[in-house]
Amino acid sequence: MFRRKRTSQDFAEEIKAHLELEADDLEREGLSQDEARWKARREFGNVRAVQERFYARGRWVWLDRLLRDVRFGLRSLRQSPGFSATAILTLALGIGANTAVFSVMNAVLLRSLPVSDPDRLVYLRTSNPPRGTGTIDSNETFSYPVYDALRRQSRGLSPVMAYVPLSNSKVAVRYGAQPEEAEGDMVSGTFFSGLGVNLPRGRGFSEEDETNHAPIIVISYNWWTRRFARDPDVLGKTLYVNGVAMTIVGVAAESFEGVEGSGSTDFWIPLQNRRELNAWGNPPQDGKLYVANSTWWCMRMIGRLAPGVTRAQAVAQLQPVFQAAAYVGLGSPMEGEKPPVLSLADAKSFAGYDQQYGNPLRMLMAMVGLVLLIALANVVMLLLARNATRQREFSVRQALGAGRGELLRQLLTESLILVSAGGALAWGFAEMATRLLGQWAEIESSIAPDRTVLLFTLGVLVFAALLFSLAPLRVALGGGATLALKTSAATSNTDAGKSRTGKIIVALQMALCVVLLVGGGLLTRTLRNLENTPLGMRIEGLAVFGVKPNIPSIPQGVAFYVSLMNKLRVLPGVESVTIMEERLGSWWSDNGDMRVDGRLPEVASGASRTVRSNVVGPDFFRTLGIPVLAGRDFADSDTASSPHVGIINEQFAKRFLPNENPLGHTIGTDDGRYTMTIVGVVKDHKYRSIDEEPIPMAWYMYAQIPMVGPMHVEMRVHGEPLAILPSARKAVQQLDPNLPLIRPMTQREQFDTTISQHVLFARLAGFFGFLAVVLVATGLYGSLAYRVNMRTVEIGVRMAVGARRGQVVWMILKDSLLLTASGVAIGIPLAMLVGHALTSSLYGVKPLDAVSYLLAVLGVTVVALAASAAPAGRAASVDPMTALRSE
Amino acid sequence: MATRENDDRIALLQGTLDLLILKTLVLGSCHGQGVARLIQSQSEDVFLVDHGSLYVALQRLEDRKWIRAKWGVSENNRKARFYSLTQHGREQLVEKTGEWRRLTRAMGLILDSGNGPQREEA
Repeated sequence: MFRRKRTSQDFAEEIKAHLELEADDLEREGLSQDEARWKARREFGNVRAVQERFYARGRWVWLDRLLRDVRFGLRSLRQSPGFSATAILTLALGIGANTAVFSVMNAVLLRSLPVSDPDRLVYLRTSNPPRGTGTIDSNETFSYPVYDALRRQSRGLSPVMAYVPLSNSKVAVRYGAQPEEAEGDMVSGTFFSGLGVNLPRGRGFSEEDETNHAPIIVISYNWWTRRFARDPDVLGKTLYVNGVAMTIVGVAAESFEGVEGSGSTDFWIPLQNRRELNAWGNPPQDGKLYVANSTWWCMRMIGRLAPGVTRAQAVAQLQPVFQAAAYVGLGSPMEGEKPPVLSLADAKSFAGYDQQYGNPLRMLMAMVGLVLLIALANVVMLLLARNATRQREFSVRQALGAGRGELLRQLLTESLILVSAGGALAWGFAEMATRLLGQWAEIESSIAPDRTVLLFTLGVLVFAALLFSLAPLRVALGGGATLALKTSAATSNTDAGKSRTGKIIVALQMALCVVLLVGGGLLTRTLRNLENTPLGMRIEGLAVFGVKPNIPSIPQGVAFYVSLMNKLRVLPGVESVTIMEERLGSWWSDNGDMRVDGRLPEVASGASRTVRSNVVGPDFFRTLGIPVLAGRDFADSDTASSPHVGIINEQFAKRFLPNENPLGHTIGTDDGRYTMTIVGVVKDHKYRSIDEEPIPMAWYMYAQIPMVGPMHVEMRVHGEPLAILPSARKAVQQLDPNLPLIRPMTQREQFDTTISQHVLFARLAGFFGFLAVVLVATGLYGSLAYRVNMRTVEIGVRMAVGARRGQVVWMILKDSLLLTASGVAIGIPLAMLVGHALTSSLYGVKPLDAVSYLLAVLGVTVVALAASAAPAGRAASVDPMTALRSE
Repeated sequence: MATRENDDRIALLQGTLDLLILKTLVLGSCHGQGVARLIQSQSEDVFLVDHGSLYVALQRLEDRKWIRAKWGVSENNRKARFYSLTQHGREQLVEKTGEWRRLTRAMGLILDSGNGPQREEA
């Protein structure tokens, strides 16, 4: 409309003019003035109705009505700000916690790999590796000959892609002058094309690049952003990986950070064949790199099902190829040996994440689900209480002609307002919590809420809105129009059924609260146990970092480490220095059988013969502060030309050399090619992680074995351990300017990473338990206070006829103690189920830990008493006369 | 309160009432009450115009720019809102009159054709 809209007032004036004109005409026709006016008005009919029609013309009636409802709803919510604020906050906490945990779960467990058509991607798995092979993971890694055979002869999978890390942590890279470290994989030429990963800049690899072992590199978008500030000119520049020059040819799609969930890959290079870039950064074994080594199963594989081929068909076609290739270089399988069986696993979502975070996340999701239930129940109870006091209002409105539909609409609008306010707050809360969760859990892939999360939250909100509007409807309508005629609130407020519903809800809340408290308690005690676990060494004052020198030959490698240790020992503040192949507290260990006195030791059937071993330098046990029980530590004088020496722990001695002096016995590798004499026995201590049980261990002297590779340096220093790093870095770079310190940290921090997930899990569980307690306390307080209010008259009567204050207080307290008792009775069995489900996450605590249960029961009792104290006190101070007059 | 049902009723009346208003205004500008009286008298009191609907219809025609309105003074010195046809309204009048004629002729043809069950019942 171009003209300004005509006002209703103008229209009303026109009607007034009409009535006057009509009356004039009628008067002229012979009626009296009064009669004329009457008739004009009568003939016109309902003036208001016409004005309404004018008003409604061209408007969205429903929108108009909605706005009015919303205005009304806001007004009535504003009348009880305490109620509104409590309801909105409760909702925000409950829904926010759920959204946060769900978005982490969504990102980690549900979201697909960022590749095209992820449903057709499969990880390759084997039932077991053939005898006599070494693996990274006995089900997930394969040898190069297997990969080569599969990729050439596979019709079911097209293509078969392999990827293998250059290191089990990070590798040394250099761009410009400063050496640094990054995570990188060697991959098939078909890797990017086969996965269907876009390269917004540059190109990926081709099969030719793989055959030629082209020195080219594709970097991840994330690393490009972090390290290169999205410099578009980075293409064509040179990046040194372990000192090997590589040309940057591409940047991968933004969200793609490799096909393993844990950790994020910074760069990819085609499969290489040179000693600096061996798989996993290992030194060549018997002079053989991973490409030539058929007994080292170190490569992970992923494939894309060929068009029209089912998974079963693909397996059937690949099985014979796989089983033949598995024995390349091993001879034929031994009599009775089970050949490895190939299988295919879903690669739709990240493989590593589910193992690592699956169970804790599902437990957390269940916990926040309970918190949400408690929160929803709270708000329902608040609404019930509030609407019960408004029953008179509803009755009056019904008496005045409001239909049930209208009341429902009003309740729906009010709950919509509550839910939208709570939801908006929850979303903000969840975004914050998600970011924090991501940082704590060190999940590197993006976990920001996405559309799935939004849908989930909206679903919860809609459910809440319906629940909130339908639950109080019965109460609202229950009164009917006639209730308005009754005058006493006492008659309308003693509805037994209503308070029974309230009682049941409170008891159930208590039960859920018990469950959450028991769960939180068990995990917190686990955490305490883990943090206080003795490690068996002097952990303070130790700094550790990795080095990955270029080692052309074994003597040169040993010489490098000798001069490195000599340089580091003389730095000011350094007490002692040693080196080790596997870093302590990093989850890594080298496990295998060992010969004792020339043969594999006899063990009782079912018992394990596995020995965990490590390769270490001189002063190893002195540096770590591990007591040597018998014999001696490794020393500088143990060299390649001196007799081979080894050290074992108590467990080793106990299991394989019981009741004799282990010193002087010989032990060695299971193939019998390397032997050494035991010169020391050390006390059992923690090795891989804090929560492990001791197992037999043996240590080789690095300078004596026929292999030398990257090492970790352990330094015991006076004062703050990390303060030594700058001077240590200088010392390392005097030997080789290309070498960064790899993952430098204190040894304490390194061990703590093995329980970081427990810590996070326990903290979150504790937090949610606490949240549940707060919610239950508010809910209980609210409903008790409300019920005491309702009983003011009754209490007045009781006191007037002689009840003492103590009796009144006890009456109220008894009420909530009974509720608590029934809540506990329901909660304990539930908590036992939860405790059972938690078993794998516990350490040093039984799932039926009495202390946790006692504390939980005590917790809810205290909450119940605290929440009833105020209402009970108020009830006792009721003056009988006031109470009786209050109506 | 206006509801959908009311709107339907208006729709039924619309054709005739709109046409009658346009026809009345072709003689010159007039206020609402005058229009009502004119329709009533010219139809020899067959049509009893519902005043409320009339004003709503007038407003509708004004919204469509078929007529325009101005506050003025009536012959007996009362303030009144006077409506007159626009060019667009005249065109509409010609068109609607044609439509109405065709409709009545067709209705007449059918009703006068002399066969059909209605006749026997009548």
